Amino acid sequence: MIQLKDVSYVRLGSPDLESAETFATGCLGLEIAERGKKTLYLRSDDRAHTLCYSEGDPRHQTVGFEIEDEDDLQTAAATLEALGHHVHAGTAEEAEQRKVKAFIGFRDPTGNHIELVVRPERRGRRYFATRDAGITGFSHIGLNSTDPVRDERFWTQVCNARVSDRIGDIPLMRVNAIHHTIALVRAPTAGIQHINHQVESNDDVLRSYYVLNEKRVPIVFGPGRHPTSGARFLYFTGPDDMIFEYSVGVDEIEDEATHRPRQFGFEPSSFCMWGARPAGMALPDKNA
Amino acid sequence: MSSALASLATSICYVRLAVRDLDAGARFASEIFGLQRVAQQDGDIAFRSDSRFRTVSLVSDEADGGSVGVEMWDEAALESISQQLNEAGFPVRRASRSECERRYVEAASLVRDGSGNSIDLVVRPRQSGRRYFPSRDAGIVQFHGVGLRTIDSARDLVFWKILGARVSDWVGDIAYLQIDEQHHRVALYPAARSGLLYSAFEVEGLDQIMQNSYFMQERQIKILQGPGRESASHQIFLHLQGPDGSIFSYVNGMTVLGEKPRRPRQFPFANESLCNWGSVSADVPELRVADGRA
Repeated sequence: MIQLKDVSYVRLGSPDLESAETFATGCLGLEIAERGKKTLYLRSDDRAHTLCYSEGDPRHQTVGFEIEDEDDLQTAAATLEALGHHVHAGTAEEAEQRKVKAFIGFRDPTGNHIELVVRPERRGRRYFATRDAGITGFSHIGLNSTDPVRDERFWTQVCNARVSDRIGDIPLMRVNAIHHTIALVRAPTAGIQHINHQVESNDDVLRSYYVLNEKRVPIVFGPGRHPTSGARFLYFTGPDDMIFEYSVGVDEIEDEATHRPRQFGFEPSSFCMWGARPAGMALPDKNA
Repeated sequence: MSSALASLATSICYVRLAVRDLDAGARFASEIFGLQRVAQQDGDIAFRSDSRFRTVSLVSDEADGGSVGVEMWDEAALESISQQLNEAGFPVRRASRSECERRYVEAASLVRDGSGNSIDLVVRPRQSGRRYFPSRDAGIVQFHGVGLRTIDSARDLVFWKILGARVSDWVGDIAYLQIDEQHHRVALYPAARSGLLYSAFEVEGLDQIMQNSYFMQERQIKILQGPGRESASHQIFLHLQGPDGSIFSYVNGMTVLGEKPRRPRQFPFANESLCNWGSVSADVPELRVADGRA
């Protein structure tokens, strides 16, 4: 079984790095770690980077997960190949671009591009935001799935993810104590549905709501509160229509051994207990 | 003696609001805002929000004009404060038997503050044996306090200090007045006219503030400001348009001040001081800074 430790980074293609930088620093509140000719590395916590834009097709979206060591990486490659996944062994140059010791790349059953990485770099200097959004770190992703039941099996049986809760057939899955690191979202094609950063407090969620409104950033869902994880949230749209989320107060699963996933009905109040309705953001479609 | 009396105004215990359309007002108070309708007498409708028999009365007699009830510790405190107010030039009139019954209190003195706002100084306001049971789950915990418009801040401060209130903080010339452990129960807002600005009801938490916010949006009830958070008191608020230009507010999370003496802090007269989340009231001149952030 592939032991995922945490989500490590997201890599996004974008035709317009300048807009991506303006948004990431002026709206989202990340710190520029490194600016290359065709790359932009961004920090959100003590890691060297958690988001990387590179000039290119915005459909190129990759999620990196950290695993224990290079032995585990070899075992994971063998496991995936045995299951018929094409596995790309990262070259030294590619590993350097990702600021990791080593990595492999593959596609999940939906076709999402996933990387497993070893020893992603940290930085000695703390993260220092360009805008006071209160970000404490990159935390989780929403991942498109063309078949959530099949993909849940992949993430929980080939990998070590555990289901924390379900809304209809949509699983919220954890790889550590945090309520969820991967939220599957039913969608017609592969892709990252949203990128989550945690913030310090409720105040930060509400402040950002007013700040982003003023900056005319489209708010697509929230401010709201997920009854599943307990998190207060705000979803908004960034460059290339990527959805970003701030949230605070995600539950931790206290007892790994006895936790049973709760079943929530597939209805608006399962996504927001305050009564927020998504605007311009598709909720996972039950029957898509 | 006067310092011992300084805490003898013990609570803000009710508001009486004059409304033109009593039935429409009552529907707002119970079905929209979530108060419990408890009684109707002499053309007034009474509502509960907590263990008290009633904290809101809608009054159909327009000449009455409404009032704010301030509970005194006891008869002796009422007597003493009434005398001090008289001496300071605020004429106090003892309420008649029927005026007391209409206010659900055992005794009262009626007075106007420096701006002309009607204040009822009351003794033994009625409690209820039954618990508060509203018709809608708005999460109301208690009637919390009021905002008052002031056209003469200096006179109004003299008035409230006689009642035992003290300024906990300033935003420009807006004064937050403390009468118990809460940061404030009364706030005085400089305005072009006198009158009650808002009546604030504490709810259980942020969840209820936000749920009520979406509830109002769905029903197209005008949100005058919020959800927001006052910078000085840390109180979260949602100000709603009520009947006849009144403002009903849900609040939560006000700072509790300890016993330790503290000096009032001065915040600049800026929208950021009124709401540190960034909400701005478009429609209520007292709740906004006309030319934006200072």
